[in-house]
Amino acid sequence: MPTITAARPAAYAFDLHTTALLVIDMQRDFLEPGGFGESLGNDVGQLRRTIGPLTALLAGARAAGLTVLHTREGHLPDLSDCPPAKLERGAPSRRIGDPGPNGRILIRGEYGHDIVDELAPLPGEPVIDKPGKGAFYATGLDELLAERNVRSLLVTGVTTEVCVHTTVREANDRGYECLVLADCVGSYFPEFQRVGLDMIAAQGGIFGWVADSMDVLAVLPTTPVLQPSS
Amino acid sequence: MGSIGPVTANPYPWPYDGVVDTARTAVLCIDWQTDFCGPGGYVDTMGYDISLTRAGLPATARLLAHVRSLGMLVVHTREGHDPDLSDLPANKRWRSARIGAEIGGAGPCGRILVRGEPGWEIVPEVAPVPGEVVVDKPGKGAFYATNLDLVLRTRGITHLILTGITTDVCVHTTMREANDRGYECLILSDCTGATDKGNHDAALHMVTMQGGVFGCVATSDDVIAATTE
Repeated sequence: MPTITAARPAAYAFDLHTTALLVIDMQRDFLEPGGFGESLGNDVGQLRRTIGPLTALLAGARAAGLTVLHTREGHLPDLSDCPPAKLERGAPSRRIGDPGPNGRILIRGEYGHDIVDELAPLPGEPVIDKPGKGAFYATGLDELLAERNVRSLLVTGVTTEVCVHTTVREANDRGYECLVLADCVGSYFPEFQRVGLDMIAAQGGIFGWVADSMDVLAVLPTTPVLQPSS
Repeated sequence: MGSIGPVTANPYPWPYDGVVDTARTAVLCIDWQTDFCGPGGYVDTMGYDISLTRAGLPATARLLAHVRSLGMLVVHTREGHDPDLSDLPANKRWRSARIGAEIGGAGPCGRILVRGEPGWEIVPEVAPVPGEVVVDKPGKGAFYATNLDLVLRTRGITHLILTGITTDVCVHTTMREANDRGYECLILSDCTGATDKGNHDAALHMVTMQGGVFGCVATSDDVIAATTE
């Protein structure tokens, strides 16, 4: 089994047949100017540094034949799946559903809601649309992973302390072994990037493991592993 | 029935909808168990300073006395596993063993984090009173693999006030789950605690960012001052 000895708090071993790469919310609304992230006053440049390493990791995972899954946070055009507490809270310059330069903010089907070009899903790669921060709540992710016999998740995406953390916490409670890739997750706030990663690996790895994408690429095969027939 | 709000809170006066009926608000007491804050429990066995996880007990006890007098719903949670460990994920068991406190193993307060053992019980300072709901959970989050969501919706609860331990692990996971489910959440800084003070502070700070991405932070005094009978 491939093993990442540099992972903290301890070595992380994973079976290629039961491991998936999870790419969380790499959407224009969070990563590009004019989107939801910027409307909350954030510097989207803090997130864009993840695109390079994640592009390389995505290529490596596809070459090795790993299951690749993408998530997108967003709501139905009539906002029927957006809790009032989420919609009305705070005072952003644009609320969910408001028009913006990339279409209505965080609305499914709009240009800004989709994944950035560099990381566009390939045909056949599942894309999970989620109404919340966590990718397991009100989605079919858990069932989809079970169907594919996935037990380990290589976790990437944005933002580290919000959607990545919530999803890792959900996955961990469900028994998945999560390896979070530090250079492929990003936060608008450097402090939260650091402490968010520390919290994952604290107390003996209470939520999972942390490593860098190069550590994964170094142990991935460059030709597809044969998936067991079902 | 009384009302609550607006509570002086960070980053906005809580709740978002101004004032809420106390009948629609519940206080969550998360994992105030001997295993997490008592001598000889799981956290003590791992070598952490339990004065940090006990710090929120007096304020929580005072808050409970107040909200009970108003007739508010109080829900307690307990993290733990069946005695046969059939609901214990392999990686969770492995990790706990690695740091010297294997779940299911024998400890000074009985088998660690096993339902029915002395260490798994809620400490007396904030123990449930008859009529209060107790939810047993196998994970960090109180919504996964439990009936919590059903109980809250059945009672008509829309707003949650969170206390308990530890701030960055079980309280935060539960707050994130509640927030995704549409509950308007308030976490109390003086009624929570963590094994690491830095993680306690960071977890509270995270809540307040981006206009209150998971809800708000306040103190028990702020809540008590904002309730009317």
